[in-house]
Amino acid sequence: MGLIGSLYRSSVGKKSIMAASGLLLSLFLLTHMLGNSVSFLGRNAFNTYAERLHSLGVLVYIFEIGLLTLFLIHIITGIILYLENLQARPARYSVNTSEGGRSWGSRTMPYTGVIILIFIIVHLMNFHFTDKSVPVADLVRELLSSPSLAFFYIFSLVALALHLSHGFWSLFQSIGFNHEKYNPLLMKGALVFSILMGTVFILIPVLTLVSRSFLL
Amino acid sequence: MKLDPKVPGGPLAEKWDKHRFDSKLVNPANKRKFDIIVVGAGLAGASASASLAELGYNVKTFCLQDSPRRAHSIAAQGGINAAKNYQNDGDSIFRLFYDTIKGGDFRAREANVYRLAQVSNNIIDQCVAQGVPFAREYGGQLANRSFGGAQVSRTFYARGQTGQQLLLGAYSALMRQVKKGKVEMLSRREMLDLVIIDGQARGIVTRNMLTGGIETHAAHAVVLATGGYGNAYFLSTNAMGSNVTAAWRAYKKGACFANPCFVQIHPTCIPVHGSYQSKLTLMSESLRNDGRVWVPKNPGDTRPPAEIPEAERDYYLENKYPSFGNLVPRDVASRNAKEQCDLGKGVGSTRLAVYLDFSEAINRDGASVIFQKYGNLFHMYEKITAANPMHEPMMIFPAVHYTMGGLWVDYNLMSTIPGLFVLGEANFSDHGANRLGASALMQGLADGYFIIPYTIGNYLATISSKPNDTGHQAFRQTADDATEKISKLLSIKGKKTVDEIHRELGLVMWDACGMARNEEGLQKALDKIPAIRDEFWQNVTIPGSGQELNQSLERAGRVADFLEFAELMVVDALSRKESCGCHLREESQTEENEAKRDDANYSHVSVWEYKGKDSSPEFHKEPLIFENVQPSQRSYK
Amino acid sequence: MSKIELTLKIWRQAKSDAPGRLQTYASGPISTDMSFLEMLDVLNERLTREGEEPVAFDHDCREGICGMCGAVVNGHPHGPEKETTLCQLHMRHFKDGDTLVIEPFRAKAYKIEKDLVVDRSSLDKMIISGGFVSVNTGGAPDANGIPIPQKNAEEAMDAAACIGCGACVAACPNASAMLFVAAKVSHLALLPQGQPEQARRALDMVREMDALGFGNCSNERECEAACPKGISIRNIARLNREFLKAAIFSDED
Repeated sequence: MGLIGSLYRSSVGKKSIMAASGLLLSLFLLTHMLGNSVSFLGRNAFNTYAERLHSLGVLVYIFEIGLLTLFLIHIITGIILYLENLQARPARYSVNTSEGGRSWGSRTMPYTGVIILIFIIVHLMNFHFTDKSVPVADLVRELLSSPSLAFFYIFSLVALALHLSHGFWSLFQSIGFNHEKYNPLLMKGALVFSILMGTVFILIPVLTLVSRSFLL
Repeated sequence: MKLDPKVPGGPLAEKWDKHRFDSKLVNPANKRKFDIIVVGAGLAGASASASLAELGYNVKTFCLQDSPRRAHSIAAQGGINAAKNYQNDGDSIFRLFYDTIKGGDFRAREANVYRLAQVSNNIIDQCVAQGVPFAREYGGQLANRSFGGAQVSRTFYARGQTGQQLLLGAYSALMRQVKKGKVEMLSRREMLDLVIIDGQARGIVTRNMLTGGIETHAAHAVVLATGGYGNAYFLSTNAMGSNVTAAWRAYKKGACFANPCFVQIHPTCIPVHGSYQSKLTLMSESLRNDGRVWVPKNPGDTRPPAEIPEAERDYYLENKYPSFGNLVPRDVASRNAKEQCDLGKGVGSTRLAVYLDFSEAINRDGASVIFQKYGNLFHMYEKITAANPMHEPMMIFPAVHYTMGGLWVDYNLMSTIPGLFVLGEANFSDHGANRLGASALMQGLADGYFIIPYTIGNYLATISSKPNDTGHQAFRQTADDATEKISKLLSIKGKKTVDEIHRELGLVMWDACGMARNEEGLQKALDKIPAIRDEFWQNVTIPGSGQELNQSLERAGRVADFLEFAELMVVDALSRKESCGCHLREESQTEENEAKRDDANYSHVSVWEYKGKDSSPEFHKEPLIFENVQPSQRSYK
Repeated sequence: MSKIELTLKIWRQAKSDAPGRLQTYASGPISTDMSFLEMLDVLNERLTREGEEPVAFDHDCREGICGMCGAVVNGHPHGPEKETTLCQLHMRHFKDGDTLVIEPFRAKAYKIEKDLVVDRSSLDKMIISGGFVSVNTGGAPDANGIPIPQKNAEEAMDAAACIGCGACVAACPNASAMLFVAAKVSHLALLPQGQPEQARRALDMVREMDALGFGNCSNERECEAACPKGISIRNIARLNREFLKAAIFSDED
């Protein structure tokens, strides 16, 4: 705890915690995305995947607690950073212009973060704190055939992609990786990663809405 | 008054060692009982402050800017000389000494210049140890270049920002002592006067530039490192804040001023483009290696340069000086440029510029070679003028750059006031009548790092370490005088701005006391300057009050001193009836119209002593004796 | 040379604790060859003659190296030109009829002193906390004693080119001083002379930066884009690396 405590007392330390938790959360998202893409193989494959996952028993709980901790760390640290940053410039400029460094992703980090948090709560209500006996494919079709919820999903997942487009390279910078040769690649990689994640995740509500056969 | 330069005896090469041994030391336990004031935080001031604090003295350092990192030393581009002989090309301490004293046209003190060359090597070691990122070769060794026409490569550099990097090194050493509590750093403070008690310098009066508060500071010794006075000309390459006030106040309190008329004028500056112009920007002299200087043959020819045929161009330097051509020394190039403009052959909108043309070099070596050499300079030029020297000739004009004159100091760098030491550009000591390229940085750091730490001890060991007190009557009196001067300035409420009057002074100085001088012009200037000064004291307007940040008031105080000081410059120029170093005295020319030095009558330092408001300054002569070098006459034909 | 006329909206504030506001002035005819600060000089000369207080602004060398000048012009620290300080910005980059909003650098750690003059002593304080090599005058080994690879010397020079103007803080949406601190930590970490104090320096300078009330770096890259010397955020990554290495592995605290 000594180390964590001392990291928390400094700006660079807090950023490294943000980066480390962000990296682990990105890895989780990657597995989640791979899991979701099973849905494209059809209803049975998707249901089997979900059942297998749930049958892991106590491992699932451990994983969930870990994930929850990561989220809490990421969110709380983010809020602290946001508030500190707000205080660092009490009097604002009358004209605000970008120098050209900021991206849409970086500019909206706190806001996309809040959207993602709300989305996670809704998403957990929808799929986690629910009747687990209903096959997951049915659950998806039942919930996401409602256009309003599907659009909320799509909107939130766009926000997630935007969040990742900055977060995924920024985390490397925060832990000290920025090499002249590889950084341009990393920044492009972050863009590809975020688009890939966004697309795969968004395909599910989109296909549910437009396809008559998806998961049926 | 009898001037005693206190140059130690013995052979030249042993003088400094011998002097260090003969100097009295302050007991380590007693050093903390001594307070030292350092005014200025450029190369000389910052390096002195840090080094003195390291020794254990209590140092108070003052600067005008918001941070000591901004002093004008930071703008030096080219490099710093040292006699390291890393290139194995025949350099030595004696050669650096000889080049520097010859560069100064034999108007500097042998012993001082030799010591400068001796400590030059320590400076490079010290700077590298501080983390100054000098340019390096592939193998990791330090890179050198030849600079300012030197025959050996002895100049160390950090891109075009050598002054910046050296200053940041000295600044970091200073900041380290601030952390240790040995230096108290007072920024945004302007020294208004010197306090003398029992004939010794014992403190200063400053104005807090944010609150306007007049403050007094006491010490056992005062070190002035306040830079040069080039802004007497209004336009110069100096920073806007550079001024003569501290030195002038010291002069009026009894410190003699030496060679005030020795001013270096740099030939390759970006010309003036309008009456609103606030300063001049210097470009590296290296441009003359490939650029050809010319003006139209016919006065008043206003055609654009491309439309002037070859036959109607006057490559005046090449014609006049066939062997050196465009590479004649700074003063010759400057003087000839002004001469051409005075003949009506100047170019550009103000007709105060000459062309520096790269077209021949581009045809000969190819555009890419020339661009590679001068790309950053061309870029700088284009940023300011919006013209690209790859496509049209550059325009250049000389500008006031460095002042070799300054407060007179002895071998210990102490002025004629006991306890008042003067370092860097503010003193007169090492550059004679002209400064060699890459020597200013060397001198500032030599004075601060390696000379004052020894010589100040020699003084402090002779005085009592009794604690200082600003309660003395002299502090009150000096502070009252300063306050009164400020109220007087604020009460004039006339019609002209400070800058308008400063500009008038500048024009008079540039015309009469610039590169070429003559009796008649100087006499006229002596009539004009008091008139401008009277107008200033009757008709200047300064808005705002004294109890706040008031930049007009700051400038007014400085211009008031320039208006007095300029007269001394002219008086000095009048008395030196020879051409030397940077200056052509028109009455003293060879048959070929070149500068003629007069060693029989002027091989001396001209030293001026203040004799009160209504009397002329008293002239003293410090004879210059050359035992180790033979003064030679320059020739560039 | 041509002339333009501008509308200037300049932040006027009598002193630190007084309220400030944007005041509008007509520039009058301005030569496009003027520098931005000369344009302000011309305005100030006129205000002085009219008996008004001129606009206070910091400046000194006027050749882009001392770092004293700086204001925010239409939201851009040092104005809209890349890698250019305010004193080197020329009026030909503006059009006749433009409106320029000129504000001081703003951050909690920069107190406004008057009009466009701000107190940036916080930058010095961070250097005081550790931005130096602890070496006394005298006794330094021969300068060529330790070879330094040219690439390292060049990279150190890139970082050391910082002029301490503080525009990075002014440009940062979070008023973070990371680029300034990173430039110094990088410059010294890249050279063997700076390495003995590497860990100590990174920890001390970051601690001081936080204590002074600067914001956190969120990698928005605005500092790099605004920096008149083009200092790269690669230096910030190096600072992060140096700091984490020191915090996690070194014995320093």
